[in-house]
Amino acid sequence: MSRAARLQRTLVAAHAWAVYLFLYAPILVLVLYSFNRSPRSAVWTGFTLDWYRRLIANRALLRAVENSLIVALATTAITTVAGTLVALALARFRFRGKGATQAALYLPVIVPEVVIGAALVTFFGVAHLRLSLATVIIAHVAFCLSYVALVVRARLAGFDRALEEAAADLGAGAGEVFRRVTLPLIAPGILAGALLVFTVSLDDYVVTSFVAGVGSTTLPLQIYSMLKVGVTPEVNAVSTLLLLLTVVLIAVAQRLQRPPSTLEESR
Amino acid sequence: MMRTAAHRALSLLAIVAAVTAVVASCRPHETAAPAGGTAATASVAPAGGELHIYIWSAYLPDPVVEEFRRRTGIEVTVDVYDSNEALLAKLQSGVADYDLVVPSDYMLRILGHEGLLQPLDKTRIATLGNLDPRFLDKDFDRGNRYSVPYLWGTTGLGYDKKKLGAVDSWTALFDARHKGRILMLDDVREVFGVALRTMGRSINERDPKVLAQAAELLKKQKALVATYDSGDFANVLAAGDVDVAHGYNGQLAAVVAADPQRLAYVVPKEGGTIWMDSTAIPTKAHNVDNALRFISYVQEPEVNAKIVDGVHYASANVPARKLISRAILNDKAIYPDDATIAHCELLEDLGDATTVLDRLWTEVKSQ
Amino acid sequence: MSARPRPRRRGLAAYLLALPSWAILGGGFGVPLLLMLIVSFARRSTYGGLQPIDDLWSYVTSGGFLANYARSLEPIYLQIYWRSLWLALLTTAACLLVSYPIAYYVAVLAPRRWKTTLLALVVIPFWTSFLIRTYAWMLILRSEGLLNVALLRLGLIDAPLHLLYGNLAVAIGLVYGELPFMILPLYASLEKLDRSLLEAGADLGAGEVSTFFRVTVPLTMPGIAAGIALVFIPSLGQFVVSDLLGGARTVLVGNLIQNQFALARNQPFGAAVAFELTAVVLLLLWAYASYARRRASEALL
Repeated sequence: MSRAARLQRTLVAAHAWAVYLFLYAPILVLVLYSFNRSPRSAVWTGFTLDWYRRLIANRALLRAVENSLIVALATTAITTVAGTLVALALARFRFRGKGATQAALYLPVIVPEVVIGAALVTFFGVAHLRLSLATVIIAHVAFCLSYVALVVRARLAGFDRALEEAAADLGAGAGEVFRRVTLPLIAPGILAGALLVFTVSLDDYVVTSFVAGVGSTTLPLQIYSMLKVGVTPEVNAVSTLLLLLTVVLIAVAQRLQRPPSTLEESR
Repeated sequence: MMRTAAHRALSLLAIVAAVTAVVASCRPHETAAPAGGTAATASVAPAGGELHIYIWSAYLPDPVVEEFRRRTGIEVTVDVYDSNEALLAKLQSGVADYDLVVPSDYMLRILGHEGLLQPLDKTRIATLGNLDPRFLDKDFDRGNRYSVPYLWGTTGLGYDKKKLGAVDSWTALFDARHKGRILMLDDVREVFGVALRTMGRSINERDPKVLAQAAELLKKQKALVATYDSGDFANVLAAGDVDVAHGYNGQLAAVVAADPQRLAYVVPKEGGTIWMDSTAIPTKAHNVDNALRFISYVQEPEVNAKIVDGVHYASANVPARKLISRAILNDKAIYPDDATIAHCELLEDLGDATTVLDRLWTEVKSQ
Repeated sequence: MSARPRPRRRGLAAYLLALPSWAILGGGFGVPLLLMLIVSFARRSTYGGLQPIDDLWSYVTSGGFLANYARSLEPIYLQIYWRSLWLALLTTAACLLVSYPIAYYVAVLAPRRWKTTLLALVVIPFWTSFLIRTYAWMLILRSEGLLNVALLRLGLIDAPLHLLYGNLAVAIGLVYGELPFMILPLYASLEKLDRSLLEAGADLGAGEVSTFFRVTVPLTMPGIAAGIALVFIPSLGQFVVSDLLGGARTVLVGNLIQNQFALARNQPFGAAVAFELTAVVLLLLWAYASYARRRASEALL
């Protein structure tokens, strides 16, 4: 590799790490202030674990966390499957209604959330569907589907069918080709889409505020509702704990990975 | 390569599932409560039935709910909202199963008018006599057909008395000397209310010409305002980013109490907004008896005192005053004197003038 | 350098694949939106509901049902749309510039074993509450905030910078919030980049920069297009960041619509503005799609 090339690589890496720093700056502050003695988040007055103690007893907040995770997981599962399938349809086939489908997939991204929320609650009212965690999941699936579909679609564009054709030539059936060639090749796209949907669903406030019913308050709803009375560091505490849990589990997953074979390494 | 990519995706999904499981198990153990919908759980149905409360955040201390549960065996769920309009939208949909709601004054009138609340059976509310008559029989609910007052408060000014000296007028918010050090609530009614009061007009003014004049005042003021904020106003004042903040008394009282040498709260002499939140029962409520029991319960003196002490807002309950902590009772920001209260107005819905006001608000903010 | 356009097959399979999505979008999205469209033709009643229409025929034929749409074209509102458009364009451009190198790093330069973890690290910050994150930015950017304290201690500035409630704070907040929506699609596209094509370019004498612009970028166009769509479009309707970090001193399309569903209780007008926004964006997308098709490049949309 030339010196210029190496320099350019270093610059790109440096930029990447600067962005990571940018991404985590407010997170570090958020974590720090979960230990702030003062309930007024603006001023640091001392270290305390009080908020964590109060969090364990705050059943409303913990219930909200549970609801959020359930909704996010369900939404991710459903939309990842449906979104990948429709992305495949759009990428590989001509069919009637293709243009309309593509336009329809953009709608949830275009229409402002407050309108989506109002529309959904009106719809549920007309359909006599009780508001509950189920209606929250329906709402999330409806507006999150596009994210997966669009990301996987981008991945599929320009997909070289040669590998699939080679596998077919070698005698693999259509299902096997899909499972062992196509799917692994688009897996990074699916993963990116799934991560995006999970993120969107976990933190959604506007749509959820319209469609949540008895016992289905999610974490963002709980937090935003504290605005009028003052957001206390318990919220920082719950965010910190969630973060900690996720980071630990990701680290474990990283460790558990099989060491790549030399063939894979060279890719 | 192919295996590890899918492998990683699956392990990621497993991670999140694990997180859910851990968090769910961390929750303090409670008797089975329905996670959604009103279907009774397969396990033991609660002896007293259920009660679904929909209320402002931090408006109901946990111990108070716990005590009710212990006494009656009724399983209580508490969900929160952050605006009256959100409450309206939920009730209008007809598919939200709440038994008890706590709307503000002007919203109560609207809910009543739209037929979304049911008349209260007063014979079932034993503690009704504990209520301060000054807060009863208001315009938004004549004869208290639908509601029982819960908590009330004022909108006023929090300010840095070391920098500003004594402040007693809304005009402090329009003072060019404080340029860039002023905070206003991000609420069209409250902000216009301030302007109208400095003009000597009612906060419920409907005349488009007068509203336009108020808008002119606000347009000129905008250059002096650092931020419009309905959520963080107390913190912003406490942090010293502004010297004078328009805000609700509850949060401002708290920061003043934490820094009494420097900060103070006042309801200006021109008078301002007084607001009241009341307990009411939606028309479609399933557990009306339990809701009535709860309404009666929160007006018991000891319970009411516990609520006030926990929430830091004043209640309309007379016997409770003997039991409320001295600090809160003597805090003029939370319990202002009669003269101040007499000077304040309740917000009323403006009907068709709402559109005029919204248009003017857009103009002010677009400056 | 894109793959040869392949003849697309017709088939029952396509309908089966698309069916779940049609069900979801149709039932969960299309019908509710249709209801909202009807609302946008209605009028606000005194208390904020819908005014009952006595004479439907004359209401429609007189054009009265378009009253909200007509109102939304008044100059004060046009100003708002223009402001929102500019802000969204700037946000998207800044986001693309910030995101591409890090997406490139994770997808191409980073060791294989770390890719998923690095990708997850990009999104994890967004699993915290948006509100708390934005409050954290306020803590960092305010006059006595962490940034100013640090800069003053280091002697880099004499007086605190007034960042909060200004345009820079809003820019930071907006770009920050949209990063995953640009990085992830870019990653999806970059990840499948065939390294051999880059090496071929280098062998033929092209420098790194040249290779980047003439090989990498065109090949990752689908990802760039998806990222732009996922950032630009929602940015048109955003308002919370500009309110919190900008001091709520301006009105964007998002504020306008939000107000109609909140204190103004004028859902018909709010819905009308929202549908106009939708129509304009769909038009833009359609124009882009026809342009791309005419250039015989791969349909990205």
